[in-house]
Order: sequence, then C-alpha cells, then structure tokens
Amino acid sequence: MTTEPAAVERRAVERVVVGAFGALTGRRSAPLHFAMMDDTPVGVLGLAAGARGLRRLSYVKDEDGFVERLLAEYGDVPVLRSTGLDNVRRALDRYFSGRRLDFDLAVDLSDLPPFNRHVLEATARIPPGEVATYSDVASRAGSPRAQRAAGNALHDNPVAIVVPCHRVLRADGSLGGYGGGVPIKEWLLAHEGARPAAL
Amino acid sequence: MTPTDRPERAARHIAFLLAKHGDELARHIRRMVRDDDVAQDILQDTMIRAHGALSRLAAGSNERAWLYRIATNTSLNHLRAKARERDAMRRHAAERDTALEPHADGRQEREDARRAALWAEVGRLPQRQRMVLTLRIVDELDYEEIARRVGGSAAGARANVYQATKKLRLGVGAL
Repeated sequence: MTTEPAAVERRAVERVVVGAFGALTGRRSAPLHFAMMDDTPVGVLGLAAGARGLRRLSYVKDEDGFVERLLAEYGDVPVLRSTGLDNVRRALDRYFSGRRLDFDLAVDLSDLPPFNRHVLEATARIPPGEVATYSDVASRAGSPRAQRAAGNALHDNPVAIVVPCHRVLRADGSLGGYGGGVPIKEWLLAHEGARPAAL
Repeated sequence: MTPTDRPERAARHIAFLLAKHGDELARHIRRMVRDDDVAQDILQDTMIRAHGALSRLAAGSNERAWLYRIATNTSLNHLRAKARERDAMRRHAAERDTALEPHADGRQEREDARRAALWAEVGRLPQRQRMVLTLRIVDELDYEEIARRVGGSAAGARANVYQATKKLRLGVGAL
C-alpha cells in the first residue's frame, strides 16, 4: 500500500509541530533555544543552547540565515526563539566590555566527534591573553601529529569566542585562519591583550 | 525532485516559522483560551492549517501577520464552539432540573454568557479588526508593537481597535 503524499506531508508537519510545542510548554525535553546579539564589536552573533549548555555561538548575517542553518543542522530537534539565554548574553557583554575575559558557561559539545571535542576542550583551557599553536592543541588533545586535523576541528568550532579558537595560531606566530574572518581574530586577540609575534 | 522533497521542504518551512514566531503565537493563543492543553492543540492546529495554506501564501507577504490571523481565528472558533456546547448543556440541564431547585447562583452563568456573546461578536468582525483587537485586549500590546507584529502602522492599528470596539458595543449592547 502506498501512502498518500498528503498524509506523509501532514505527518512531517505534525512531527515538527508536536515536538516544538511540547518544548514550548516544557513537556518535552531538548529543544534548541536560539537568540541573537545584534550589536557586538564583532558583528551579529547567533546563540543556541540546549538543556546541557551552549551549542552554538556563530558569526551570522541575520536571524533568518541562522535559524535556517540550525534547522538544517539539527534536523528533528525543535528550534525555538528564546527570551532567555541571558546568562550567555551577560557573559558576552562582560567579555566585550573587558570586565571579564573568561567564561564560566556550560558548553555542550556532545554531538561532535571525539577528536574535535578533545581539541576544543584543550582550546578552552588556553587562558585569555595567551595563545597556543595548532600543534600545541593537537598534542593536548592526545594526537601530537594531527595538527592539520586540529586545524579543521578548530575551523568547525561551533561555539566561537567562548571556546577560544582565536587563541590558536600558526607555529611561526602568524594568525592562521578564522571562521569569522581574520580581522575578527585579530580584534579578539588585541582585546585580550595577547600579542601575536607576527604583529 | 523526488516525491519526498516537497513534504520535507514544507515541514522545514513550518519549522522555520515556528522557530521565529512559535513563542509569541503560543502566548497569544494561551491568553485567549486560558488553558495550556487546549492551547497546545490550537497551536498545532494553527500550524497545520498554515501548512495547508502555505502554497497559497503570496511571496513577500507578511508571514507573521498571516500566522496571527490563523491563530486568532482558530482560537475564536474554539471559544465559540465551547460557548455553544456550554449553552446546550445548560439548556439540557435546565430542562431536566426545572422540577428541582433553581440554580443557586446565576452570576457565573451570566458572566459566562456575556463572554460567549462577546467572543461571538469578535468572530463576526472583519479579519483585520479581529486580529488587531485580540492583540490589543488579550495580549495587551501597544499599537507600535501590534504594527510591528502584523504590519501596517500604529495609527492604523488604533483605528482598527476603535472600529472594532464600536461594533462590539453595538453588537453586545443589542443582545
């Protein structure tokens, strides 16, 4: 027996709607809540968090693009706007104002491959004002020779700034790449008082 | 295009609209029906109706306003159906109980009846007035915020509410 396209369509919508409303009323767990920060020194930021912590901090063009990306990447997880995420906003405000450069936030990296997670966890331990090289973080992640893979893991860092991949530089002290653009990497390092040797 | 593309895209679009507007629509509906379970059903219904009408939505139209309109109508339909049902039950009870004691307190009943009549009148208002009025009196938004949500100007929203309340006063007053 073939299923009517209309029935398939209706079920797909019902799945989305039921999941999302369950999340809105708190009856179902694990929605992804998102919020935007429009006026930061590094441009527009999109934030997304689940029950276990921050899962996304991205440089984005606008809200629509960010929401579409979340829906594409997280599939069946309902995505909902949040008026919350205040702790994240406050921490970022403190960071940008220079009052406090480190973050005491729960970050959820559980959906990443183990190697990426280890690289990012090692990166998260680089204090503000300091820098490390790609091979440093590869070593700290337990794979000293995997510096290229470490570079990729950093490039795919879903939680920019809070997991400070901008503090990782090339061995010769040059800046290397950055997802948000090298000028932002430069700005963040200057803001933190780190001085890359090449500058 | 495979046969599954279209449903997936439509579902994705609905998920997108929910992500952007679901929270405020849920609040709007909850304030109208005052019951979380019912509100859940109505939001679900709203999004399923939206999905059904998605192909008829002109490009560039205000999706937020469109969703509010569907949510308002769906909530009003529910309120009117509930009022009718309560009315029927009351009549039935009254017929059965006439020989017994009269109802101790008619105040609650009169209040219920007044509310039901009001919702019925709201349901008879033109689409735009109906939506703007509920945002004003149920969600208690100011005119600027109403205009932001459903398009148009604050002055236009104010005029909508003025017209709507005038009609309601006539309608309910005549009952």
